[in-house]
Amino acid sequence: MFKRKGHVPPTASYKEVWSKGDAADKLSFFFMGVSALKNKQWAKGFSLLISEIVFLVWFIFSGVSALSMLSNLGENKTKKVVFDQAQGVYVTKQPDNSVLILLFGIMALFLVIGFICLYVTNLRSTRANYIKKRDGKHIATNKEELASLLDSRLHATLMFIPMLGILLFTVLPTVFMISMAFTNYDRQHPIGFSWTGFQAFGNVLSGDLAGTFFPVLGWTLIWAVAATATTFLGGVLLALLIESKGIKHRKVWRTIFIVVYAVPQFVSLLLIAQFLDAQGPLNTLLQNWGWISGPLHFIDNEAAPWVARLTVIIVNMWIGIPVSMLVSMAIIQNLPQDQIEAARIDGANVFQIFHNITFPQILFVMGPSLIQQFIGNINNFNVIFLLTGGKPMNNNYNGAGSTDLLVNWLYNLTFGQQQRYNASAVLGILIFILSATISLIAYRHTTAFKEG
Amino acid sequence: MSFFKKAALSSAVVLAALSLSACSKSSSSSSSTADKKASLTLWVDTEQVPYYKDIVKDFHKKYPNITVKVTQSPNGSANVKTDVGKDASKAADVFEVPNDQLGQMANAGYINPLSPSDTANIKKNYVSQASKGVTWKGKVYAYPYAQQADTIYYNKSKLSANDVKDWDTLTSKGVLATDFTNAYTIWPIFFSAGTTLYGENGENLKGSTFNSQNGVNALTWIAKQKSNKGVMQTSNALNQLKKGNADAIMDGPWNAANIKKILGKNFAVAKYPTVTVGGKKKQLETFLGIEGFAVNSHTSNAKAASQLAAYITNKKSQLIAHEKAGQIPVLKSAVNSSAVQNDPVAKAVIEMAQPGNSVLQPKLPQMATFWDGAAPLISGTYDGKIKPSQYKAQLAKFSKKISQK
Amino acid sequence: MKSYSNQRKVSLFFRYLLLTILAILWLIPILWIVLASFSYNDTGFISTFFPEKWTFQNYIGIFTNSQFPYLHWIINTLLVAIISATLSTFIQITVAYVLSRLRFRLRKPFLQIALVLGMFPGFMSMIALYYILKGLNMLNLGGLILVYVGGAGLGFYVAKGFFDTIPRSLDEAAELDGATRWQIFTKIGLPLSKPMIVYTALTTFMAPWVDFIFSGIILSTSGDPKTYTIAYGLYNMLSSSKGNATAYFAQFVAGCVVIAIPITILFIIMQKFYVSGITVGADKG
Repeated sequence: MFKRKGHVPPTASYKEVWSKGDAADKLSFFFMGVSALKNKQWAKGFSLLISEIVFLVWFIFSGVSALSMLSNLGENKTKKVVFDQAQGVYVTKQPDNSVLILLFGIMALFLVIGFICLYVTNLRSTRANYIKKRDGKHIATNKEELASLLDSRLHATLMFIPMLGILLFTVLPTVFMISMAFTNYDRQHPIGFSWTGFQAFGNVLSGDLAGTFFPVLGWTLIWAVAATATTFLGGVLLALLIESKGIKHRKVWRTIFIVVYAVPQFVSLLLIAQFLDAQGPLNTLLQNWGWISGPLHFIDNEAAPWVARLTVIIVNMWIGIPVSMLVSMAIIQNLPQDQIEAARIDGANVFQIFHNITFPQILFVMGPSLIQQFIGNINNFNVIFLLTGGKPMNNNYNGAGSTDLLVNWLYNLTFGQQQRYNASAVLGILIFILSATISLIAYRHTTAFKEG
Repeated sequence: MSFFKKAALSSAVVLAALSLSACSKSSSSSSSTADKKASLTLWVDTEQVPYYKDIVKDFHKKYPNITVKVTQSPNGSANVKTDVGKDASKAADVFEVPNDQLGQMANAGYINPLSPSDTANIKKNYVSQASKGVTWKGKVYAYPYAQQADTIYYNKSKLSANDVKDWDTLTSKGVLATDFTNAYTIWPIFFSAGTTLYGENGENLKGSTFNSQNGVNALTWIAKQKSNKGVMQTSNALNQLKKGNADAIMDGPWNAANIKKILGKNFAVAKYPTVTVGGKKKQLETFLGIEGFAVNSHTSNAKAASQLAAYITNKKSQLIAHEKAGQIPVLKSAVNSSAVQNDPVAKAVIEMAQPGNSVLQPKLPQMATFWDGAAPLISGTYDGKIKPSQYKAQLAKFSKKISQK
Repeated sequence: MKSYSNQRKVSLFFRYLLLTILAILWLIPILWIVLASFSYNDTGFISTFFPEKWTFQNYIGIFTNSQFPYLHWIINTLLVAIISATLSTFIQITVAYVLSRLRFRLRKPFLQIALVLGMFPGFMSMIALYYILKGLNMLNLGGLILVYVGGAGLGFYVAKGFFDTIPRSLDEAAELDGATRWQIFTKIGLPLSKPMIVYTALTTFMAPWVDFIFSGIILSTSGDPKTYTIAYGLYNMLSSSKGNATAYFAQFVAGCVVIAIPITILFIIMQKFYVSGITVGADKG
């Protein structure tokens, strides 16, 4: 029923519109919206025409220069310090600000692409009007055009603002980030930088950062697998325990665990770091009880790297299991009981039922969200940043610690001492490739995922 | 029209307007005449905001045309490089700079050199270490107002003034808490061992000499402290001092007030002890840091900003900073004032600031790489993650890393 | 038979025991955080489980601190949370509805692009976002709202999964009766999605309370603590350097506890919606 326009209208090529159309049709090739105006589709006509005017004015006055500067990101790359006699002080003549040039250049590109799309739309609507006139059909009036925005074109109306937000706040920054990877935007070129092709990729993959990149990548993958698997399994088991026969006050139990998840992470993790410190409460208690003679090093700098990594995974279970439990409980409650009952009558024990029935069902339902969690864990900045800050330090790494994930390293390179913006952009792209590859493979293997 | 095109249309309009407005804004010039009306912003550390507000009030009386807004610097003056680097045009007109970041900030063009007259004034009236500390490639880039050097703070009831004169007696009679992940505190053992960082003057990229037997001696000394019962590794020395687990800590003047509160009448301060490194008895050195106020090169009122920076670092202001926050002045006349002379912390810091007791923090931009690499090297050696047989190779690697352009 | 019931009792006992141990393990750190907020502290580090010296001063201090206007932060965050939750919920529900119920030419490409966009780590785009907001002259709470709302269009998955479960025959019947799609959306789609609206509103409402990185990048330039949100403000108390962190640490903990209480309560209330949100979404991908 959604294909109401199932019949194919007789078509016309743009050539035909150009040669056989009337003056307004022809003019529409140069002045957008003229044909619409002639057919009294005022709203469409004026919005097209006005946007063409605005675009051209912008293009001439700033678009051209924005686009042309994109080629070299600004002529002037070096600053000049000059003495201002009048004021008696030095002033600095800044180099061209490449960040802004890049940003405006990309915006300008977007605008040009947007305008081309708009121009195509204009041609289409001109052609549609032409065909209708040629075939003697009813041409939509202004009112009908507007009404269609709430009916057959409702999607356009509703998606309008969200699209704007996504373009401006997600797509544009992402494109900007990708472009940065191909420049020498770093500590030595903080204001005026230039295009350098794949040099930054070289630094990360085989240059001075390679010795950090590959080990950190390895740990990131191990972490993502371990964190996803432990929280998932733990959550399922905890849910089964709470849901098992005879347990009362299930809501209370559930709430006890959920409290942990509800406390903001920057609170709980920052303080857990102190809790686990060599001189923190846990070690103090254990020592007072005489269980240990010297402090245990969990996540402080003296900890062995793998102890710290294990601790991080365990603390992550503390945070992650409650959510996973919450979800599993909902699924368990909706499991078909007859199958389980039948198995029980057949003499299957608890573990057989879990292994053969309950667990596969849960896995089936949670498959796609597990993949999302996995991707989320690859980018799980908070846990490492707040809990260990990357510690224990690693003398073989550059700008990262033993527990740092790729994203944390990316953050350090941007906001830390070294300010290697281009390298972190490269890392961003590599993380993307990693996530995309893994989820592509995973989605192919989960039957539950269907587009639509 | 499909929604995509609708969206494109409107975003075209919005983006056009946006970039038009943004482009027109980016071309603000910095030409101005003397003594026009100006409004400035000043970044200081959070805890300094209250008294700088008072100082700025006095400034406004003297320069009625200039209004100043005092705000906290977003992530503290220790991170000013990153804060300014994020967007220099939105940073304050005048901000505080620790001298190890001076070189990079000057190279990047974030800060302006001082006028010849101010430069002459600083060279003449300030203690020599301070004027050296703010000089980069022959030009002075900041108005210094404080010197910072670590000293020993200790509990008088547990240790005597004689005990803290030597590391070995100090750590045999009491416990010293420190943090071997902090390169600022620990690295100076390399100076005591007879090595240099970026040459004698700290400005020679290839001048580091720690890749040597002396450097190995320093690392050996660090590793030895792990088994020293009198040395405690802690992430929070203050807490250990308070609990009585530690009797002495190594810290800077910015924490003196806290320590006084914790130790009460048992508070005592002294210069660093001597240490035995490489078989010889040497003075344990420290990094000398110079804090100064610099003028943002993006300011539209370079002259007013310089006047502000000069004013908030004058004698009166330095003494206020000393009184309120324990900052140790660098203006000769302020150093000689009775308030400073009678302050034991100031005396200890000033003594540590003397050549032979301390090394001025180098200003090369490569200090960023240095800080990033020195901490894991030191802490790895202390923990034993780096074995003695690797010392030479690790030092060679580190030396190469920090002398790259 | 008796042995069977005994066995059951033993099993139940052990399950209760296990559950109790787990619950204790989970709650101990939380309990310690609360205890720490009542502990007198001037060193920035708490090394004991129970306070060595009890005090209520931290709570008084955080509300009266002249450097850190805690009340302003709460009001700011509340404002940001309410506005951004309202707008984001509207956008998310709308986008989810459109993608689930309407068919149009660019629907599939959009779904694919949305999936791809979600995989780029957000940090690098922050630099660009900063300059975009600067260009709009909105490096303030308004800009923060704009960014939260601007990204909302991509968070449609859960709600879309929900709409996918509503039978399409409902729409078709209405359409046969001559209803426009707008009417179907407002008269059928929205009323049906009430639980989803609650869920979306709650999740988007909570985001500003915990985001300390992004809000920091946008708000820190002003240097005026009165314009911070709670998450950045509290984080900033600790991260600003040298010396002062120790002075404010205990107040920081107290401030965290104060803010954690309402969020926790809110979360406990919404866990029902949360479950339905996740499971329904997971059902359909």
